[in-house]
Amino acid sequence: MQLNGDSKLWGPGGFCEDEYVWADCLEDVGNRCVILPLSVWLQAVDKLDKETLGKTGVFAAAGEDVRPLLRFLAVIPVIALDFPVFSDGRSYSTAVQLKQIHHYLGELRAVGDVLIDQVSNMLRCGFDTLEVRHSLTQTRLAKYSREIFPGFYQPGASLIRARSHRIWYSVSARQSCS
Amino acid sequence: MYRYDEFDKAFVAARVAEFSDQVTRRLAGEMTEEEFMPLRLRNGVYLQLHAYMLRVAIPYGTLSSRQLRKLAHIARRYDRGYGHFTTRQNIQFNWPRLVDIPEILEELSEVEMHAIQTSGNCIRNVTSDHFAGAAADEFADPRPYAEILRQWSSLHPEFSYLPRKFKIAVVGARIDRAAIQVHDIGLWLKRDSSGKLGFAFYVGGGQGRTPMVARLLRDFVPEEDLLSYTTAIIRIYNLYGRRDNKYKARIKILIHETGLEKLREEIEAEFAILKTGELKLPQADIDAINAYFHTPDLADRPEWHHNLDWLRSDDPAFDRWVNRNVASHRHPDYGIVTISLKPTGGVPGDATSVQMDVVADLAERYSKDELRVSYHQNLVLPHVALGDLKVIYDTLLATGLASANIGLISDIIACPGLDYCTLANARSISVAQQISARFSSHDRQMQVGEIQLNISGCINACGHHHVGHIGILGVEKKGSELYQLTLGGNAGNNCAIGEITGRGFSSDEIVDAVETVINTYLSVRESNKESFISTYRRVGMALFRQALYDVTGRAV
Repeated sequence: MQLNGDSKLWGPGGFCEDEYVWADCLEDVGNRCVILPLSVWLQAVDKLDKETLGKTGVFAAAGEDVRPLLRFLAVIPVIALDFPVFSDGRSYSTAVQLKQIHHYLGELRAVGDVLIDQVSNMLRCGFDTLEVRHSLTQTRLAKYSREIFPGFYQPGASLIRARSHRIWYSVSARQSCS
Repeated sequence: MYRYDEFDKAFVAARVAEFSDQVTRRLAGEMTEEEFMPLRLRNGVYLQLHAYMLRVAIPYGTLSSRQLRKLAHIARRYDRGYGHFTTRQNIQFNWPRLVDIPEILEELSEVEMHAIQTSGNCIRNVTSDHFAGAAADEFADPRPYAEILRQWSSLHPEFSYLPRKFKIAVVGARIDRAAIQVHDIGLWLKRDSSGKLGFAFYVGGGQGRTPMVARLLRDFVPEEDLLSYTTAIIRIYNLYGRRDNKYKARIKILIHETGLEKLREEIEAEFAILKTGELKLPQADIDAINAYFHTPDLADRPEWHHNLDWLRSDDPAFDRWVNRNVASHRHPDYGIVTISLKPTGGVPGDATSVQMDVVADLAERYSKDELRVSYHQNLVLPHVALGDLKVIYDTLLATGLASANIGLISDIIACPGLDYCTLANARSISVAQQISARFSSHDRQMQVGEIQLNISGCINACGHHHVGHIGILGVEKKGSELYQLTLGGNAGNNCAIGEITGRGFSSDEIVDAVETVINTYLSVRESNKESFISTYRRVGMALFRQALYDVTGRAV
């Protein structure tokens, strides 16, 4: 995993500063906030003090079993789920499981091949932030204010069910900023 | 029929706007073909051999006359004056220009139609019984549940990038007319001992290069759990289905490699969590959707039985057509008319704009404004008074749609094959045309009796050759077309995959080989009441092989 100067982090308030650096082990990063691969994080978790734990996020590959993380969800500040290519949809299901079933309250981040045409799906599955390398997607997200659809036929993050109906509406518009 | 409400309309309009933007970006070069491909596929746009192809969804095969007229208009204005109805109850236009497609989609949205998810690795158009809501053997109408599934699967955030395409079919009659056991999920409506409505869930059926008959996953899932249970299955598939090889990516392979028991455990565990959640269908919602599908008011018209008898005896061709193309309606004074799109020497499933307009008029006037597209690539008028049959027949005759061959050997299911498709290895249409010409005599077809013949132009099996009583698969060998023959396949009740006879046949030999199979059947059947498939099941493959090949395995 390498630091990527070109990527930008996009969240509920638009593009924002990414406090986290990527690393393969803790020794390299000193005092900074860091995202570690899931297997490394699991090996390290018992040795970390509470403060370090609160600054250490987890990266899970597409389809990687996240069940070992479940008992730690309250202390993990960020979980990054990978989209190795946009057409690999496994991380959508993992996101739904973490957010909607196990009520993960930390930051859920989409990383990898994040493109504008999948943004709606990612947000509805519960991703809070997107790490974007694709320049056109960056341009488009800078202008992104709200979902173009009037609502959806499925439940999802930030959606509420219409009164007696099979439709879920968006409850909040995203802020536009760049 | 289901009608869009304000939300549905706004939803489809937003989709059209989104895709128009994507097409504009593609044409402006802001998007690569690789990035554009999955987006256009989600809107039914394929790149074929000669042009783009647009596949329009006909949800569970149900159309109004207004909708069919719109399809006729699109064929006329943006295409070459015809469309092709498919085994998935959809319609394909073979020659639209990419730049016109946003406009076509906008025209479709005016009549509450779209092309959403007719392609791509997502949940495809849900198919159903083309006799639903009319059939005498139906115990519950499957269409409301197909509609619930259609809505729920539209732009599903979690299931838009599955390992591979995902097909769902639902039926509610004694006879399975939608081949549910060759779908990823097949649903059979049923009642439990207390009279409660629910579904038997079959899972992992499919064709392609590894054909499999779906297996029973759960005998009864109450109707309110339809979406929760379906979600549990597809979530497990999305997480664990193979993505390393597209030929091994369907759920059937996951089941085959993991084992049904192990997978059932995972699915049930997921379902246990989902069961009480937001996906549980409130009875009020089920009732609201059901209300759209009430059988239209059908006035009693008993006086026509006698007239019909007289008309039939007076016109033998009409008599033959009634005999083959009219099925029992639940109302005794009515029938279900199947309009054959399989004229002698024609292209199975094709209809011209003129023909579509004629059929739309007939539906408006004589079938309560309702039409269906069948899995067999024919059109259906579901509610026709017996007294109106003659005028319908006469009108169809004048437009070349009066073939009296439903369920006979010339009622061929075929994919477009090498004439259109980039995937195909061999032609399907020409073989279908030759077979229907060879068996063009109605008397000969009636002598052969009930039989299903299917043709696919490649191993992807869009022509469902694996489940044809006689199946033909076109392959390419050393630069020329070769046709493999399978026997004993069956869609619907007693679903079975056909067995290959042996070495394939050249395009010059294949029609003779089919005739040899038919002659062998005629010589060994116990009586003319024993159908081809029953005879095959009784006598097995050996006799047919003997007739087809000499001792060295060469074609005789």
